[in-house]
Formats: sequence, C-alpha cells, structure tokens
Amino acid sequence: MISYAGKPFSDAESMAVLNPYVKDWFMKNFGELTPPQKYAFKLISEGKNLLITAPTGSGKTISGFLSIISRLFDYSLEGKLEDKVYCVYVSPLRALNNDVYRNLTVPLEQIYAEIVKDKGEDILKGNMRKVTIGVRTGDTTQQERRKMLLKPPNILVTTPESLAIILNSRKFMEHLSGLEYVIIDELHELANNKRGVHLSLSLERLKEEVAGRISLIGLGATLYPLDEAAKFLVGSAASSTEDCVIVDASWSKKLDVVTRSPVRDLIYTDGQKIEDEMYKMVNQIIKENKSTLIFTNTRSGTERVVFNLKRRFGYGEDIAAHHSSLSRESRMEVEDLLKKGALKCAVSSTSLELGVDIGAIEDVVQLGSPKSVTRAIQRIGRAGHSYKATAKGEMIALDRDDLVECTIMLDAALKKHLDSFKVPEAPLDVLAQHIIGMSITRKWNVDEAFSLVKKAYSYRDLPRKDFDALLNYLAGNYVGLESRRVYGKIWYDEKERMFGRRGKMAQVIYMLNLGTIPDEVAINVFDLSKKWIGNIEEEFLTKLKPGDIFTLGGRLYRFEYAKGMKCFVSEAKTSAPTIPPWFSEQLPLSFELAEEIGKFRGSFASVIRASIKKRKISRVSKSTKMPTEVKNALAQLPMDENAKDAVFRYFLEQILFAKEVPNDKLMLVEQTHDIDGGKNYLVFHALFGRRVNDTLSRLFGIILGEMLDMDVGILVGDNGFMLELERESRLSQKAMKELFSNVLSSDIVSTIRLNIRKTEMMKRRFRHVAGRSFMILKNYKGWKISVGRQQVNSQLLLNAVEEIDPDFPVLKETYREVMEDVMDVPRAKEVVERLSKGSLKYKFIITPTPSPFAHKTLTFGHADVIMMKNKHDYLKELNRLVLKRING
Amino acid sequence: MLTKDIELPEGLPVAHMRSLSSIVISDLHLGYEGMMARNGVLSPKINLLRIKKTISKALDATGANRVIVDGDIKNEFSKVEMEEFNELYDFITYVKSTGAELVLIKGNHDNFVERYGNAFGLKIYRQEAAFGEYLFFHGEEMPGSSASIKTLVMGHEHPAIGVYNKSDRKEKLKCFLYGKYMRYNLLVLPAMNYFSTGTEVNMEPKGNLLAPIFRKLDVDSMRAIAIGYGSTEDFGKVGRLRNLA
Repeated sequence: MISYAGKPFSDAESMAVLNPYVKDWFMKNFGELTPPQKYAFKLISEGKNLLITAPTGSGKTISGFLSIISRLFDYSLEGKLEDKVYCVYVSPLRALNNDVYRNLTVPLEQIYAEIVKDKGEDILKGNMRKVTIGVRTGDTTQQERRKMLLKPPNILVTTPESLAIILNSRKFMEHLSGLEYVIIDELHELANNKRGVHLSLSLERLKEEVAGRISLIGLGATLYPLDEAAKFLVGSAASSTEDCVIVDASWSKKLDVVTRSPVRDLIYTDGQKIEDEMYKMVNQIIKENKSTLIFTNTRSGTERVVFNLKRRFGYGEDIAAHHSSLSRESRMEVEDLLKKGALKCAVSSTSLELGVDIGAIEDVVQLGSPKSVTRAIQRIGRAGHSYKATAKGEMIALDRDDLVECTIMLDAALKKHLDSFKVPEAPLDVLAQHIIGMSITRKWNVDEAFSLVKKAYSYRDLPRKDFDALLNYLAGNYVGLESRRVYGKIWYDEKERMFGRRGKMAQVIYMLNLGTIPDEVAINVFDLSKKWIGNIEEEFLTKLKPGDIFTLGGRLYRFEYAKGMKCFVSEAKTSAPTIPPWFSEQLPLSFELAEEIGKFRGSFASVIRASIKKRKISRVSKSTKMPTEVKNALAQLPMDENAKDAVFRYFLEQILFAKEVPNDKLMLVEQTHDIDGGKNYLVFHALFGRRVNDTLSRLFGIILGEMLDMDVGILVGDNGFMLELERESRLSQKAMKELFSNVLSSDIVSTIRLNIRKTEMMKRRFRHVAGRSFMILKNYKGWKISVGRQQVNSQLLLNAVEEIDPDFPVLKETYREVMEDVMDVPRAKEVVERLSKGSLKYKFIITPTPSPFAHKTLTFGHADVIMMKNKHDYLKELNRLVLKRING
Repeated sequence: MLTKDIELPEGLPVAHMRSLSSIVISDLHLGYEGMMARNGVLSPKINLLRIKKTISKALDATGANRVIVDGDIKNEFSKVEMEEFNELYDFITYVKSTGAELVLIKGNHDNFVERYGNAFGLKIYRQEAAFGEYLFFHGEEMPGSSASIKTLVMGHEHPAIGVYNKSDRKEKLKCFLYGKYMRYNLLVLPAMNYFSTGTEVNMEPKGNLLAPIFRKLDVDSMRAIAIGYGSTEDFGKVGRLRNLA
C-alpha cells in the first residue's frame, strides 16, 4: 500500500527515537528539524519504506541517514556492531557520493569521540566500535576494493553500476547478508530512465539474496506522480505485502519567480540591441546579488554567456562556466569556489541542476525556456540554500512564444502543477543483462526467475513470451549448436526449465560490459603540448576548419588539426570566436506544459476577443494600449511589464490576422507560404509537447506523402509541426478532410515503425540496445571495439537481425525505445483518439502569409543553421507582413 | 544481357554464362560471423542463408547446371575454423542438392580447401581455370594468357559505388565492373558476402585498389553495373561517377 504521511511528528517524538549521543550531536549542530526530518526520523526508525521528496538545502541526506546512524551506534554501544554492511547508499552521481562520504565522516567521528569522552577510554576494551563508511564506484582502485573485502564499511556508498558488480561478487555479498537499509538518492534522475530500471532489478536481486527484510528509502527533488515513484522504489510486489510512505516536502521552499523581457518590443527592436539589453539585465542581477547561478540550455550557450559577461563588463576569475564537457577537475573547482562563496556568478547548461552541494546561491537566472516545469523548479530551487529561504528566480526570454512558455511554466510551478515522468516499460536490454548476472550467481528455475523479475515495477506486466524469447536469445539459440560456445551467454535447458552460468568467461564478460549508458562519440580537445582541455561533439568537429576560433570552458581556442578522436588547438590571441557553436542540444517541451500553454491560449484569447468587440479595435500599432480587462487577466501571472505588453500584442496580432487562436481544444492547420512565395507550408499548431509532435508530424507527413505521391518535408517544433510541399500542390478543404480521415483510420504504430526503420536514429539506438544486450561486446577478450566500429557493425547487424526474426528481442527493444522513450507514440495515439471523438477539434485555414503563431515553428528548424541575427531579421520580416495585412 | 553470352540475373550478385550453362559467384567468405563473434559482435548466421537463397534464385532464373565459385569461398586465411567447416559442408551439400556441379577457384583466403575436394568430389583449381572462351581467376594475382580466351572473370576487389540519393545522403551499392584489359573483356564480380559492403571504386584513390590488374588498367574506364533494391542498373563509366559529392 502506498500512503501519504499525515501530520508531522512533534520534535519530541522525533528526537525520542534517536540514540542520545546522536541526538546531542544533531541538536548541537542543527538545533531544529527541517520539514522532511519531522517525518523521516521516526518513520525510518520504525523500519518503514519511505519516499522523501524535498528541495535542496532541506536536510534531505540527514533525513535519510540519521535514524540509521543512530541504530548503528546503538549496536556499537551494545557491542553488537560487526564488520558488515548495514546500509547501502546509491546515487547516480559519483560527485554526490564523495559529498555524502565527506559529510557523514565528520559526524561519525564526532559522535564516536563524544561517546569515548563520556564513557571513558575503558569502553574501548569492550566491543564498542566506530561506525564506518566507505565509497565504492568505478573510480575505486583494486587495492581499496581488496581492503574493503577484508574490512567492509558499515555504510557503503556506491553507484548503480558498482552495485550491480557487487551483486556478482560472491565474497563481497557475504558482507551484505545482514543488510537492513538501502537509500536511493536523486530518485528523480533514475526513475525515468534505463539506468534506474537497471537499479530496480538490482534491488530485487538484492532483496532476494539478503535473508532479512530491507527498508528502502528513496530521496528525490520534485517529481510527479509520487505514487509512481514510490512503486518504482519498492517494486510491484510490495503493494500487497509492504507499505511505502510518501513524505512530500517538495514545496517547503517558497518561490519568488518572474518572467522578464529585456525590451518592450521583441520584434522591431534591433537584434543587437536586444542582446545588449539582455546582458545589461543579467549584469544588473549579478550586481544586486551576492551570488548568481545562470542556466542556459546548451553548453555552447554557457560558453557564449561567460564570454560575453567577461568582455562586456570586465569580469574575471569571479565568473566561471560549469558544464559536462569540462574536465572533472575544472568542474569540482567551480563547485568548490561556489561553496566558499568565492564566485560572483556561475553559468551552467544542465550540470549544476543536480545534487552536488554548491552552497548559498542568491538568485537563479534562466536564459530561454527550460521546457519543463520540473526542470524549472529544480533549477530555481538551487537558490536560497536553506529550506526557509525563498528561492528567487528569473527567466529571461527573447521571443514571444518563450515569454508565454516561461510565464505559464512559472505559474504552474507556483500552483504546484508538475510534468510527469514515466518509468520505461520493461526494457528487454536491461533485463538481458540481469539475466546474465543472475545466471552467474546460481542456477535458476525459469518460473522462479520470472517472478523475481516481475517484482521490479518496470517489469510488472512483462509478457512471459518476451522473457522466454530473451532466454532463447541469451542461450544463443539463434545460431547452430556449434557456435553457442561463443554466442551463448547463459546455459539454458528448455526442457527442465532451468538456466544458469555458461562457461568461465561469463563473469569477466559481464563485469566488463555491464551498464546502461551508451558510449558517446566525444572528441577530446588537447593543446599542442598534449594537455587535455575538454571535449566537443563529433558533429561540431566536422564543422571546424583549421584556423577557426571557438570557445571552450569560457576561453578562446584556435583549431589546429584533428586526428582520429582527438582535436588539437592552440590558445587564441583574438577576442572573438569565428564559429558560433549551434548544436541540436535543445530540450523538448514537455506534454503537460504544452497543454497548460494551450489552456492559456484559449482563455486569454477569449478575453482579448471580448475586448476587441467592446472597444472596436481593428489595428495594432506602437500606441495600442492594453485594455483594463486584459491587464486584469495578466495581473496574477509571474511576468514583468515588458513581457505582458509583448504577450498582449502577440495575441492581438494573431486574432486580428487569422481570427483563430489554436488552443488545447483546437488544432489549427494553416496553409501558407514562405516570404518569397516559394514553398507551400502546412503548419499544424499542436500543443502536445515536442515528443508527441515528433510522432504526429511523421504520421501526417507519411500519410499526406502517400496521398499526393510525393516526398513531404517535415519540420518539428515545440508549438507545432510543419509539412513542406511544392508550391503547386496546395490542398483544398476536401483534401484536408481526407488527410485527417486517413490519419484517424491509420494504424499508428505500424506506420511509425515503418518510418523510423529508415532513420539514422534507429541505427544509433540499435547500437546502444545491442551493446546493452551484449550482442555487441564493447570489451571482449582484452580488446575494445571503438564506437565508430560498433556503429558500422551495428548497421549490418540490424539488417541481419531483421531478416532472421522481426521479433528478435534486441530489435523489439530498439523500436520500443524509439517509440516510447524518444518519441511519445502512446500519447500521440491519445491525441488521435481525441480527434476521432471530437473532444479535440481541428480547423483548416488558408493565410496569405504565415500567422504570428506560426512564426516560431517556421524558424524552429533554422536554429541550427542560421545565426540568431538572421533568424531575428527573418522574424521581423514575417511580422511586417502580418501588420501590413492587419493595418492595411 | 551484358553481352551476347553473359546475362546478369536481375538484382543478384551473379553472372550467367549461357555457353557454359554456368553461373559464377565470388567472395562468399563463409564463416564470417564466426570471425565477428570472436571479436565480440554476435551476428545471426545470415551470410550462408542469403547465399543459398541467391543461388536458388539464380539457378531458377537461368536454368544453369554449374556453379563456379571464383575464389574466397571461406574467410579465415590460416586455418579452417569449425564453424567454417560446417558452413562449407552445408554449402557444398546444398549446391549438390540442386543437381548443379560445383567448381572452386582458390582465392587468397582459401588455404586448406583442397582437403575437401576429394571427400566431396569437387573440382578445385589452384590458380585459374579456363572454360570455353572464359578464364576465371580470383584476382589477387595477374591472370595467365591464352589465345582461346576472350573474357577474364575475377572477384577479390569487392567493387561497389558510392552515389547520392535525393536527400543528399550517400548510399553504397555493390556493383559489377565491366571493361577492357588489353585484348580481353574483363568482368569483375561483386562480393557475395552479406557483410562485405564493398569498396567504392569511384571514391577510393586508385592506388588503394587491391587487385594488381588495376595497376595496369584504369578503373575509370570500366562500366559499373550496380545491384540493389532487387534490381540491376548500369551506371555507366566509373570515371563519370567520380567527384559526385
């Protein structure tokens, strides 16, 4: 049963469960309990499974650990503490592991010293021992591991991958026989991906191996739905036999947030001017606060912002960049400086949105939309370190859609509406790995193994035939007997319904290849003395010519030459980069946020419509004033005056120009053409998030292509998608009706499946899945296959596998991953059903030039290709055409 | 029809010589998946499966009663792996079951195949073999000469061409090469192996081509007849296909 914690316990009740020395230490160091602690101490001491969500700085880690530490000191004082692991802590970040290790070592020492002081040295003659803690990750040396094997720590801090390795280390597992607690940190970073699913299977295996009951404690920042997260934590079997209590302290921090526009008119203000004003605004914020954290959405954006702030306002070492392409040392240095309060400002892409303690940040600035409410809250939650502080955040947007998006996002955050996460549904590649792991441990009856697997939440509905197909694949039954020595990963006796380990190599191969994170093709950047600087993406390298200047880590480098996966550069003497690093790193707009925007569009448009009628407004110009009722409608929204004005004009233009405003109940399809009248565009104004739009665009594109018997260009955006046709093939109302009726009656899954088969994405994802399923062994017999080689091999493999068996588990999982984790076919199906039922309507209009709401979609795809400035000019031109039509 | 006598069955990497009632294929590299597996890539066994299908189609389409393998029937240089042996056995048995005669020309990968000659009653030629007006040789060495020969047939090079499709993406297509070498006609066969996608003769620097015969003749002067998507298409001279990008 999943239940929500009711009223918090009184401080006295909470403290009563603690060992007196632990209690004293806590009171001396903290003095009072934070919101999550008011639940956690007591519930954990009662052995409950617990899911705690709380913002950064709310004492989450101590919430999870203190009762456990208290219990361990009880054991110690009773002389019962042994060299055994009592608690395993798992987090997805090594940096966080090291943090937790440091943060717990001190209290453990202090509490121990206090006991010794209090009881006198004599106590040491008894069996009173220190409570120990140790870290084991991929960075841990062989020697440290051996030491740990001889003397295991009482609290083991580790990563999902290292935990999987431990599960197959016979000797070390003996030390876990008395395990009582498992803490999973940063649950929000695990529950929605394969790495987390991998961990959840490890947990089920761990529970099976350990004799006693294990209490599971999940810690996370904001995530939704919480029930789903709790089920992910405790597994699907728990619902009948075990409870999980949810402690939701996510909202214990107040938010003070606003969306800002640097200028009043984002269309007709010169691009350079907008940029100047934006940096002025940012600089003002930096100056007003002790420390500021700026989020951009891309690494290149981070570089650009650091570069500009330094150049424009003369900042020096007091501003630093932090992103995943920088070396670990550089990143740790920045984190350290932040903690010490030595930085005025840090700029990050996504890397600082997670766990690691970065001390007191006063203000968080977000440049451009972060595309999801949850992400926005995570980022803004970085401000105001203590839970009592208010998290102050500002979103600066540079186009009108972004203004709407950011405002609605912040409004949703204030109303506590989050976007939901989804646990990947029964990924077969992750399961393949665990079956191999299980087979190495012992012999299994197939039914017994199947029921264990189904306890992990992701696999609750795993069809038996998929499990059997996996066993056949892993046994190598797709090749002849003579080859199974090499192909077979497990021994499998179909008649006896048993499987187990095959050969001596199994363990080594397993240990060297396990994990779910695919090899990325990163190009390492070195200076001419071969010192490593950072890395860039392969795609970016292909755009560089010798002599080009680009920024990395906030510094300028000149590209000299490349060799294989290495790129060599020298320090650049000039002051400006020659290559603007546009990547396709853009984050996708979430489904829920898109829906909220749709609702806002609907309601705000009706306010403006009424206003137009009442006041007989038929033109827009600089002097157009915002009517009172419109002002009132925007009054409650977190946006500044510039933003309000811009959003009002945006809607007014759309209504006067197109009459129609697409919203959550209306999909608007607009036939129009480009400025030069060349191509014919069908713009689908669809607010379902990018992943659904990706699916829908393919569906409409394929079916229209079949109808017209021609290639249809497809462009996907956050606010819709666009189909590109030759000029002469304009659609009539009748043809559009036919298109919709064909789409509504189509088999969505098989249409999409056929379409993605031909894409590059399919090939790349197949490589990842084949790697995770051990069909491509990255590390084998002491040799490593390079990513490039893997990619070549995987294309041939893909064809071969498809020809042999279209239902082959590796292929099946690739399709599932693309359709459910990359795209969102299930929700796209729902949208189509809504269109069928009529709860979502569509309307087809023809416009002489693109309507204002179409402009973003029209330029979305250009983001990678043309520079911001060109894009701005293009937008300006589109808008001029709109105003010409309205005002005559 | 490529010539009066040579027919290229649609979409297949096979040539048919009417006067010999033979089909000729090359570079099968049986046992290839075993080699991949030993390097950690575990592909289903598809090569032999495809080869058998192709031969069956080709025999049906042409009515030929002899199958000539123009070298590199197997993959490993130095030894015969067990999987390779099994595949060889399977292949030979299969060809016999069709009623066709099997002839092997040895290629550079074909050490130790003689062993199977007697056991299976096969004709195995060490270097090259002349049938009618044709001389079949694998290609890693220069062919011999004889007055009665009009056409040379080789494999070894695994020729393919790189072309660009509508969306500017490069595609690689296996191809035959047909042209003149001295007074002879020269036919180069594409690799039959599933995993050998081939060398793009229109993109590769000429010096990188494997067969010594390409030191003596310009590959640009040969015609590329590509196969793919179930059909066969003459793309004209290789030289014309250079610098497409």
